[in-house]
Amino acid sequence: MENEELVQNMLLELRRGILSLAVLSQLSREEYGYSLLKALSDQGMEIDQSTLYPLLRRLESQGLLQSDWRIVDEARPRRYYVISTQGKAVLAKLKMEWSAMTETINKMLS
Amino acid sequence: MNLIDKYVAEVGKHLPRKQRADIEKEIRSTLEDMLEERNQASLKDEAAVVALLKEYGEPRRVAESYIGPRYLIGPRIFPTFELIVKIVMAALLGAGLLGYGVSASITGSFAGPDFLSFLTEFWTGLLGGMFSAFGTIVIVFAILERVLPASEFEKEEEKWDPADLAKEPDPDEVKISDAIATILFTVIGLVIFNLYPNVIGLFFGADGEWTFIPILSDAFFTYLPWINLLGVLQIAFNLYQLRERVWTTFTRLCNIVLEVSSIALVIIMLKGPSLIDLGAGKLAGTPLADVSDVLTKVMGFVPGLVLAIVLIVSGVEVAQMVYRLFNIRYETK
Repeated sequence: MENEELVQNMLLELRRGILSLAVLSQLSREEYGYSLLKALSDQGMEIDQSTLYPLLRRLESQGLLQSDWRIVDEARPRRYYVISTQGKAVLAKLKMEWSAMTETINKMLS
Repeated sequence: MNLIDKYVAEVGKHLPRKQRADIEKEIRSTLEDMLEERNQASLKDEAAVVALLKEYGEPRRVAESYIGPRYLIGPRIFPTFELIVKIVMAALLGAGLLGYGVSASITGSFAGPDFLSFLTEFWTGLLGGMFSAFGTIVIVFAILERVLPASEFEKEEEKWDPADLAKEPDPDEVKISDAIATILFTVIGLVIFNLYPNVIGLFFGADGEWTFIPILSDAFFTYLPWINLLGVLQIAFNLYQLRERVWTTFTRLCNIVLEVSSIALVIIMLKGPSLIDLGAGKLAGTPLADVSDVLTKVMGFVPGLVLAIVLIVSGVEVAQMVYRLFNIRYETK
């Protein structure tokens, strides 16, 4: 039981680190919060709303995302997020770092 | 007001005013999206709403995830806060012990029936003083926490280079700890002079009666408006320095004006009537009445000494400022 808890905590830390990368990667086209949540979940990346929304705001305040409130298809107003030019540059760099990192770790684990 | 409205308002209560409306709108929009998704449930389906809100989380926790941890005194200024608390507490304790020794030896309360009550009374007073000093420091730092721009401190951390350890300190850099200490001691000084001038005095007991004699004369209080003016300007100047973080010709000139004004005030105070009043009238009826003359003479040196220290410190500072000013001129030529 104790091990299980340790593993859960470590997993949480691991995921926290890669969430920004996951979110940036999925915002090449506009998404609102809940649709992004589902898009991530459909691809196997489960994320809590209470984690996602603050993260979106932080990425936006860092200039990596842009957002605006809009009404699409007569639905209720929703905030749509999309990656910014700066975000694209950062994502490209992160992708490279991620590949190098996974390669290193895979080598270590094999 | 439906349950979702109530929930959103509850989250909003814990959010900073500036971001409140926007975050509330986003949470509401998300909740409605989620509700719609689930078996096409509607706002009227109370059981579904309750289940959804339960899953979304406790309002306070949801709000916290947006704003992160909040501090009364945050980690960036906590080390300075800790240092100042230690210095002030040590100084108060030192002054308290000294005062205790002097009072007890004058009144002979080191032993005998007076001993215990004198001891209790004295230390209760000192403890009270320490608590209020601590409170003042906390208030000053809590205000600083809110007025200092966060980015300045982050930049400093990013810029840090081990090579800096070997370098001479940059003469144009404003020392944060100096500025904070100046603000703090000025605030404490202003509070004491204006609200509790009576604590500057002699405290002693005899025959089971406790007497406290304020020693500042009326003449001292005629200077108080000027002391206050200089104090407030000093605080404003240091707050500005904390924001700017760098000495400029303008701030050096301001500082020279402030210091020269302090020196002028000190000289006027020294030349004027005595700042200490321990005349026979004040001491009448106390065991000290007989030694009034000697006491007045001895205590008469104290303000001169304190003001002389102020003169020297201010003088040195002005000299440094003038030197830096001319050095800058020279370097830029």
